[in-house]
Amino acid sequence: MASIFRLVTRRIMQAIPLIFIVITINFVIVHTAPGDPTYILLGEAATKEFVEAMRARFGLDKPLYMQYLLYVSRVVQGDLGYSILRAQSVSSLIMERLPATLLLIFSAMCISILVGIFLGVTASRKPYSLRDNFATGIALFGVSTPTFWLGQMLLIALAIYAGLFPVTGLKTLRIELMGLDYVLDVLHHLALPAITLAAFHLAFITRLTRASMLEVLGQDFIVTARAKGLDDRAVTYGHGLRNALLPVTTYAGLSIGLLFAGAIMTESVFAWPGMGTLLYDSLRLRDYPVLLGIFIFVSVMVVVSNLVVDILYGFLDPRIRSD
Amino acid sequence: MSQGMSVSSERQGEKKALTASKVGMFWRQYSKNRAAVAGLFLLAAICVIAIAAPVITWYPPLKSAVGNPFVPPTANHPFGTDDLGRDIYSNVVYGARTSLVVGLLAAGISALTGIFVGATSGYYGGKIDDLLMRISEIFLVLPTFLLALIIVAVFGTNINNIIVAIAVVSWPRTARLLRAEFLTFKEREFVEAARVLGSRHIDIMLSEILPNAIFPVIVNASLEVATAILTEAGLSFLGAGDPNVPSWGLMLNNAQSYLRVAWWMAAFPGAMLLLTCLSLNLVGDGLNDYFNPRLKER
Repeated sequence: MASIFRLVTRRIMQAIPLIFIVITINFVIVHTAPGDPTYILLGEAATKEFVEAMRARFGLDKPLYMQYLLYVSRVVQGDLGYSILRAQSVSSLIMERLPATLLLIFSAMCISILVGIFLGVTASRKPYSLRDNFATGIALFGVSTPTFWLGQMLLIALAIYAGLFPVTGLKTLRIELMGLDYVLDVLHHLALPAITLAAFHLAFITRLTRASMLEVLGQDFIVTARAKGLDDRAVTYGHGLRNALLPVTTYAGLSIGLLFAGAIMTESVFAWPGMGTLLYDSLRLRDYPVLLGIFIFVSVMVVVSNLVVDILYGFLDPRIRSD
Repeated sequence: MSQGMSVSSERQGEKKALTASKVGMFWRQYSKNRAAVAGLFLLAAICVIAIAAPVITWYPPLKSAVGNPFVPPTANHPFGTDDLGRDIYSNVVYGARTSLVVGLLAAGISALTGIFVGATSGYYGGKIDDLLMRISEIFLVLPTFLLALIIVAVFGTNINNIIVAIAVVSWPRTARLLRAEFLTFKEREFVEAARVLGSRHIDIMLSEILPNAIFPVIVNASLEVATAILTEAGLSFLGAGDPNVPSWGLMLNNAQSYLRVAWWMAAFPGAMLLLTCLSLNLVGDGLNDYFNPRLKER
C-alpha cells in the first residue's frame, strides 16, 4: 500500500508543473501575438473605453512578470476570463456545454473499444484470411478518413436522404419528452455523432489489438496452453487477449486529447450543443478568451485523466509501482 | 583527401552501383506488399494531378460565378458548382497542391526539428537529454490540435502560420523515435571506433549514427505527412484556414451550410482527402514492413 501511495504522490507532483506550463503557453501566445494583448484577452468586440477600464483591472499596465503572476493566480482560482460577446464568464460557458461533450466522448470511447477489440481479435485469429483482410481494411479506411467528412457523409446519406436519424442537435425541440422516451430520443440523436467520433479510434484500436495479439500469441506460454489441450477460444481470450490488452488500455487512456479534438469537428458537423460548437462559434467570432479558456480546460482534463490512468496501472500491474 | 582522383571516381562508381542495387533490393521487398504498391501508385497519381493542375482544369480556382450556383455534377462541371458558382473540380484539383505542399513542408520542418532534438538528446544524454525530453513530453500529453488551432487563430489564418503551427506541435514524435535509436547505436563498436579515431562529435552523429538510425524516422515521416494534411484540413474546416488558397478543408467548411441542397460540395473534396491519406498510410505500412521484416513474419 505504501508503494501505491508513493506512486500517487509522484504522479501528482509530475502533473502540477504540466498545468503551469499550459498556463504559461497561453500567456506567451497572448503576449507574442500581433497587436494589443488586451484585445486577445477581451476579444475583438471590446470597445476602446472598455479596454482602458480593463487594462487596469487585468494589470496590463504593470511589468510583464507581474502580469504573469496575476494571470497564473487568476487561472488557478478557476477564473478563465470573460467573454464580452456572450456577456458570461468563460468557465460558466464551458460548464454549460461540458455534459453534452462528455456524453459524446464517452459513447464514442465505448463503441471504439468494444468494436475495435472485437475486430482486432477476430483478425488476429487467422492472419491474412478473408476475415483478417476485412477487419484490417476497415481499420485502414478508418484511420485515413477525416472525422468531419465522415460525419457529413453519414449525415447526408442516413439523416437527410434516408431519414433514419435526426439531422442536428441533442434532442427533439418543441416536444417535452419524459423518462425513457427522453433517453431514447437522446440516443437517437447521439447515434451518428458517436459513430463519427468513434471511427478513427475504432480503427486504431483494431490495428493495435491485432498487432499485440499476434505478438502475444507467438509466445511460449501460449504454446504451453495449447499443448495442455485448452481449446482455441480459451487460449485466445483467456491467455492471449488478457495480455494483449495492455497497449490497448494505454492508448485508450492517452486518447482523451485526440477525442476532444475529434469532438470539436463532430459537434460542428452535427450542431451538437457541446464545447466543440462553443469553440467553433468562438473561432468564427474571434472570441479569444473562450478559445484560450477551452485550451486550458481541456489540457487540465487531459492531464488529470492521464494521471488517473497512470494510477490505475499501479493497481493493475505491480511491476509499474517499483520503477 | 589523400586518395587520388582515379581512386575516388572509382569509389563513386562503386557507390552508384551499390545504390542502384539497394534500390532494386528495396523494390523487390517493398513490392511484395501489394497494398503498399497500390498506395504508391495512388500517391503518384495525386502528385501528377497536383502538378498538372493548370493543364487538366478549364476554370480558375477560387473564381466565383464561372457557372450558376449549386449546379450538380455535369460534363462541364464534373464535380458541380458551389454556392458562389465556383467550379468544384478546379478547386479540388488545385487543392491537391495546397495539401501536398502543406503536408510536405510541415512534416519536413517537423522531421528536421525532431532529428536535431532527438540526435542531441540521445547522443549527449544527461541534463540536455532530460530537459529536451521533458519538453517533448509536454507536447505529447497536451491536446496539440487545439494548440495549433489557437496559434493559427491568434497569429493569423495564413498558410505559413498553419504550416509552422503543425510543425510546432508534431516534432516530438520524431525526436523520441530518433533518440531511442541513438541510445542503442551510440554504444556500438563502430561508433566507439570512430570516437577512438578522434572523429568530431558532429561527424559521429551525422555520418556514423544517423544513417543507421534514420529508418524509423522515414517510416514515421510518411505518416506525419498524412497527419499534417488532415490537420490542415481540420483547421480549415473549423474556419482557421487560409481563405486565399484552394483547400479541401475550406471547401468542406463551406459545404457544411449546404449539406441538404448540394451533397457534391462535400463529397468530392473529402473523397480526395481520404484517398491522399489512404495512399500515405499504405506507403507508410509498406516502408514499415520493409524496415521491420521481423514484424511481418509473425
